[in-house]
Parts: sequence; structure tokens; C-alpha cells
Amino acid sequence: MYLYQIRDADHFYGDKQVLSIADLTIASASITGLIGPNGSGKSTLLKLLGFLEEPTYGTILFQGRKAAPFSKVVRSRITLLPQEPYLMRRSVFDNVAYGLKVRGDTSGLRDRVGEALTMVGLESENFARRKWLALSGGEAQRVALAARLILKPNVLLLDEPTASVDANSARLIRKASLRAREEWGTTLVVATHDWQWLYETCDSVLHLLHGRLFKGGLGCAVHGPWRIGPNGMLHKELEDGQLLVAPKPEEGKHMAVLDPSRLTITLPGKDILPERDRNKLNGFVIRLFLERNGATVQTAIKVAELVITIRMERNKIEALRLYPGKEISVSYAPEKIEWF
Amino acid sequence: MEELSTMRNLMFMLFIGMLLLGSGIFLAAAKGQAAEDGKELLMATTTSTDDTGLLDYLMPSFTSQTGIAIRWIATGTGKALKLGENCDVDVLLVHAPQAEIDFINKGFGTTRKEIMYNDFVLIGPSEDPAGIKGKKLPEALQAIKSAGSIFISRGDNSGTHKKEQALWKTANVVTPEQEPWYKQSGQGMLATITMAAELQGYTLTDRGTYITYESAAESKPALVIVVEGDPDLLNQYSVIPVNPVHCPSVKSMKAQAFSDWMAGGEAQKLIGEFKLLGKQLFTPNASR
Amino acid sequence: MNFIQEGFAQAVTLLVNFDPATYSAISATLRASSLAMAASLALGIPLGYLLGFLDFRLKKQVRIVVNTLLSLPTVFIGLVIYALLTRKGPLGEMGLLFSIPGIAIGQVILALPIVVALTATAVEAADSKLRLTLMSLGANRRQIAAGTLWEVRLGILAAAVTATGRVLTEVGISLMVGGNIKWHTRTITTAIALETSKGEFGMGIALGLVLLLIALAVNMFLAGLRRRS
Repeated sequence: MYLYQIRDADHFYGDKQVLSIADLTIASASITGLIGPNGSGKSTLLKLLGFLEEPTYGTILFQGRKAAPFSKVVRSRITLLPQEPYLMRRSVFDNVAYGLKVRGDTSGLRDRVGEALTMVGLESENFARRKWLALSGGEAQRVALAARLILKPNVLLLDEPTASVDANSARLIRKASLRAREEWGTTLVVATHDWQWLYETCDSVLHLLHGRLFKGGLGCAVHGPWRIGPNGMLHKELEDGQLLVAPKPEEGKHMAVLDPSRLTITLPGKDILPERDRNKLNGFVIRLFLERNGATVQTAIKVAELVITIRMERNKIEALRLYPGKEISVSYAPEKIEWF
Repeated sequence: MEELSTMRNLMFMLFIGMLLLGSGIFLAAAKGQAAEDGKELLMATTTSTDDTGLLDYLMPSFTSQTGIAIRWIATGTGKALKLGENCDVDVLLVHAPQAEIDFINKGFGTTRKEIMYNDFVLIGPSEDPAGIKGKKLPEALQAIKSAGSIFISRGDNSGTHKKEQALWKTANVVTPEQEPWYKQSGQGMLATITMAAELQGYTLTDRGTYITYESAAESKPALVIVVEGDPDLLNQYSVIPVNPVHCPSVKSMKAQAFSDWMAGGEAQKLIGEFKLLGKQLFTPNASR
Repeated sequence: MNFIQEGFAQAVTLLVNFDPATYSAISATLRASSLAMAASLALGIPLGYLLGFLDFRLKKQVRIVVNTLLSLPTVFIGLVIYALLTRKGPLGEMGLLFSIPGIAIGQVILALPIVVALTATAVEAADSKLRLTLMSLGANRRQIAAGTLWEVRLGILAAAVTATGRVLTEVGISLMVGGNIKWHTRTITTAIALETSKGEFGMGIALGLVLLLIALAVNMFLAGLRRRS
């Protein structure tokens, strides 16, 4: 059973749709990375996973059951660390102890606070007595993390945990989060740009673009200019002269996105008969990156000025004998290209 | 964006809780207060009466001789009558005969018992810019109007104010509402006298308040008596118990006891003996 | 001008000699103000929290109404409360007219909008991450309310200070509803009004200084609270 199951979740702020997730599962004790530009919906997704808000439409199942904000099942079990370091106007001790106090779980409080602070590298004797004002950004963020780790949460959601802190704090935050997973089986979901998280820590990486989730790799955004082609489709001429064909977009949508889960890789020249409704683009492999699960490979392919990243099975890589620099073809269905 | 559904419960509970708390505090205090004050007689009187200090001097004797505790509110005559009409007080001590008769005719009061009088005097700057010293009252008022000398009126429907308006009428002068030299203070007698002193104008006052003002002014007072003794200047004080038919909750027995006591020999003697700066303020005139 | 100097001297005399009328007025002022402030804070802080924290359709309009109530003249409030408490009025039977609790009721009308408006402002100004943090750490709705109010405690203290100042120094309500009855409902402010109308300016100044002293004591106490938090 998956820890999280999201189905057809659409989230709106007022009239604006900010998330549209058809299907997403997260396994227990996994480490999932989220990447995407600002405004792509990463923070919103984390808030929904944290049950801080309910999706406007759709369901999120936690441990196989529906849950709502403030329900017992999720309170104190799922915790979110926001991007900017934020502490309440109290001493470090009171900040870290707060979660336990609201639960009424206060036995051995002093020792537990000490342990949590040690876990994030703040073990000095008097650190717990410091006031919220007297900390650097990195120290504050670590205290905030300690306040959450002390709860031994099932799920730890981190929103850009290394973005606003110094390098040492970033390292300690990563170390503490991983320790949580090792000791208590905490599931981690991390929105980040940090390469150490993405490439060395995460089991899998999800790409968010305009509220849409791309599981098969990183969605490739294509901008204009586009010309109107003979059959009413739009053509974009790439820098090397190749043509990318896409259907006409709706009003107000300007960005075409290639969904890597709909692309296939073939070796050039291998098939004489072109497939119906599919076009081909030629390019070459620039990067192969083995994901932590050991079974999938993120394959980055350069086609003219575009970089397309597709997640492929390891045996497929071996079958096609791919290596950086190898020329390959990317096949796509023009009708299926989506606009944002 | 917070949902209202469960928040409504919280809000409702909070509201009820605090409302109960607040009401509890007030009811407890009010009960204590009301119980304590339930036995006290409440009187409405005028500021001019209170300002002379007569009540502070006289009322302790009333309480010790009748055993009735009394409190009073000093305002303008208009408001005192209103308080009686609204049943907020038990008895009135005012000096506006016509308004008092109206009050009784409307059924708000039982009877009016005349208790004492003092007189009104016309006071003004010692230089007497309108040249009215020694004149008869109607001529004096006409002179003030022709000279356009500053005159300060109470302007507050008090007994003094009503008296003043009656005097203008008797002098065949239309009440000078809009005239620039006629200023309405809207305040008590001492405040009005103070204003007249500042502006070097004339005003009508009861002798009692004038004596008080004169005694408080250290050296020569800025205003002196320019016209006095005219029969129209008589200022009659009466006690009126509020009508229990109109106000069932009024303490009519105690109010009547007060009225009787004020007209009785002891009170009348004390009133005559009350002096300020060696001068008698009031003349007792309750009919036996 | 020398009534001001006179006033200073008289203030000292009144206080040192335990002048009964003055101390009676002090007691009346303190009793009415404490009752009024206790009720205003008990009612106003939760209402202010809800106004600041919740999002509902008429929120802007409610806010405007609350802000407008900040401009209620005290004589107006006094008149309205008199109408309620007069014998023939809806609450006439409670015997609250010309009493200290009656004055306190009117003063609550004065202080409540201040407490609600300033608390709501303080809550709105609280960082949006506060709610996120409190929820993440497992607080339920009640605990979020308590946590938020504690975070903005300085703003709430400011509300209390402002409201107290307004209540201690108002005349219109005390006069209309209290009746300025000596020994009973004569507060310092109504006493000042009376003495001034009698021309006793020195006494007016003296009583004013006494009131300032009381306000000083109250604010020193509130500042002590601030330091301890």
C-alpha cells in the first residue's frame, strides 16, 4: 500500500488553477524530489501533502484513507518545513518543545529537546536558552527542523530546505533528514534545486511545470516563434533547421511542453517506414544519470537548442547501447503536445 | 483561507462564554449595587442649588432625623424634570414654577410644595457700559438691547433660563436669539458667570450663586450686582415628589417624607441659618 | 495662569491628606474602568482574533464598521446607554442607571471597538508562516488561536493600553450614565468637569494631575507585563 495516493487532484486559488495532478503515488520511507520553476506549484503540492489545505477537487489518500486538515491521522504525523526560516517569538527551547506540548507528550522534555538539537548540529550547552532573535538564518532553519524532528514524524516535507541557508546548515539539514529516514522510516518529499539532494539522495525526482506533473523525466518547454504550417498545425524551426510540429493552442497559452513519458527513443535510420502520427527529431545523448533506485536512468538528449530529459529503464539503455555523444532519434506525436 | 463551518462553532462558543462572563460580572455588581442603593432616595435638583453647598449642609440632618439616606443628581432644570418624567429619580427640588405646574398637570408629579426662595439679580461689569445701575428691570433690559452690550444666557432650559426668557417678555423685548451680543452658554450658573466675567458682559443669576462666586473671587469680583429687588426677580424653590401612578417603582413614601421634612420647622430653620461669607443665601417660605 | 501652579500644590495636598472626596472619586474611576476593561478584553480579544484570522464574505465591510465605531463620541454613547438603562427603557428594571456598573457598560462600548480593531490588525500582521508552522507542529484550531494570540501579544498589549487610556479619561459616559453623584458615581473626570464649571480651575488641574498619576501607575504595570513576556 502506498503512503500517499493522489487522484485527479485539481487545486484552485480563486479562479486560477495552480495544480493539476492526474495520478501520483509516494511510497513509504521513500525520498522524492520535486523540481520546477517558481510558481510551478511545488509549495502548493507540499501543502496538500501536508494536509494544510484540502484540494479543491480530487482526493489525497494517506495510508489508504481519506484525511482532512486537523484530523488525528495527520496531525503531528506529517510536518512541513517552509522555505524561509521561521521561528515563533520564543526561546529556542520553547520553539522545539511546542509540538510535544500541544500533543501533551511532555515526559523527559529537556532531554528530548537536547537530542533534537544535537541531531541538527546545535548541541551546545546553552543553545536552547537563546531567543528567537539571536540566530542566523541557518541556525533558525535548523531549529525549525529540530522542532519537527522531535515529533518523529511519518512524513517530512521540505520546501527548498537549502535555499536560504549557509552551506554548513544545508549539509546538516540534509544529514538530519536522512537520519530521520534511517531511524524512524520517515518519508521525505523535498522541493529543491540542490544537486546533492536531487542526484545523490532522492529515489525519484518529479517535475512540476505550471501545476502539471511530469513523471517520465523533465518536461521540456518550447517557446516561440511559431509559424502556421500547411495543415493548420504550427511549426517551429529549430536552430539546426529541424521542424517541431504542434497543434494550435487555445487563447492565452504560449508555451508548448514535450511530455517525456510520451516520447520514445530510437536509433536513427533503424526504421524505414515512418510511424503514423509521429514525427521524429534527431539529436544526441549528452548525459546519463543513474537514479538512486539503481533501475532507472535519467537520459538527457540535446535536439538543436532543446534539452529533453527522459527517464528510461536501465536495460533499455543497455539494449540501445547509449552513451554520451551517441546520435539518436526522439519520436513524438504532434497532436499530443500540450500547451500552457 | 479558513473554512467557516467548524470555525462557526468555536466562534459561537467563545461568544456565549464571554457574554456569560461579562453578564455575570455586571449582574453581580449590579445586584450588589442595587441592593445597597435600593433603600436610598434619589433626587434630581439643579446645579445652582448644588453649587451653593446647601444640600451638603442640609441633607445630613435629613438623614439623621428621618433615617432615610439620600443621593442627588445636579443638572439643569430641563434634565431634572426629564429624569422625573422617566422615573429615574424619586423626587425633584427645582425652581421653575411654570414648568413645575406643567409637570404636575401632565401627571408626572404629585404636588409642589414651596420650600424657600432666593432672588435673581442682574449682574454686570462694575463699569456698567449700558448704564443700567439702579434702573427698573424692564428699562434695564431695554437699555442692554439698545446698547448692544454683551449678555450671557444660560440657554439650557433651566429655571434661571426660563426666568430670563420671561423677563425679556415682560420688558417687551423679543428674546434676542440671533443677536450677536446675546450669547448662550449652555452650562451651569457658575460657568455662565465665569464666561460673563471673561467677556465683560451682563447676566442673570440667582443671588445664591452670585454670593458663592463673590466669595470665591479673591479681591474685587469682576461682576457686581446692578439691578435687584424687582418683584419679578423672585426665585421660588419647590419640592415635587414623582407621581407613583406614573412611576410605580418610585419610593413615594420616602419622597413624601422628604417633602414634609423640607417644609418642617427644623429644615426651615436650618435653611434660614445657612450662610456663605456671612450672607444668608435662602429665605425659607414653606407655608405651615 | 497661576491656577496651574495652584493645581500642582493642591494635587499633593489632596493625596497626602487622604482627602475623602478625592479618594472616593479615585475609587469610582478605578472600579468603573477595571470592570469595563475586563469585559472589553474578554470579549474583544477573541472577536479581534476572529476578525483578523478568518476570511469571510463581508470581512471588509465589518472592518469598516468596527473602524467607524472608533469615532463614537462619548456623550453619544452616554445618551444611548441612558436610553437603555432608564426606568422605562429595555434594561430599566436592572437598576443600573446612576451606578458604577452602568458607567462600565457604556465604557465597554467605547473600549470594545479599540480592542477588536487593534487585535485584528495585530493578528493580520502576523506572519503567514505562523499558521503553517503551528499546523505543521500538530496544533488544533484552538491551539492555533492561542498560539497566534501569544505571538501577537505586543499588539494586543498596545490595544489594552490604548483602550485603558480612553476609558480612564472619558467624561461623557460617566456624566450621562453615572449622574456625577457625590461619593457614589463621581469619578475623577466628572469631578474635573464639575469643578471647572464652578470656576475652580485650580481644583480641576489638581484632579487632572491625580488622574495622570493613576494612568502612569497603570502603564507602569502594563510595561512590567511587557518586559516579562
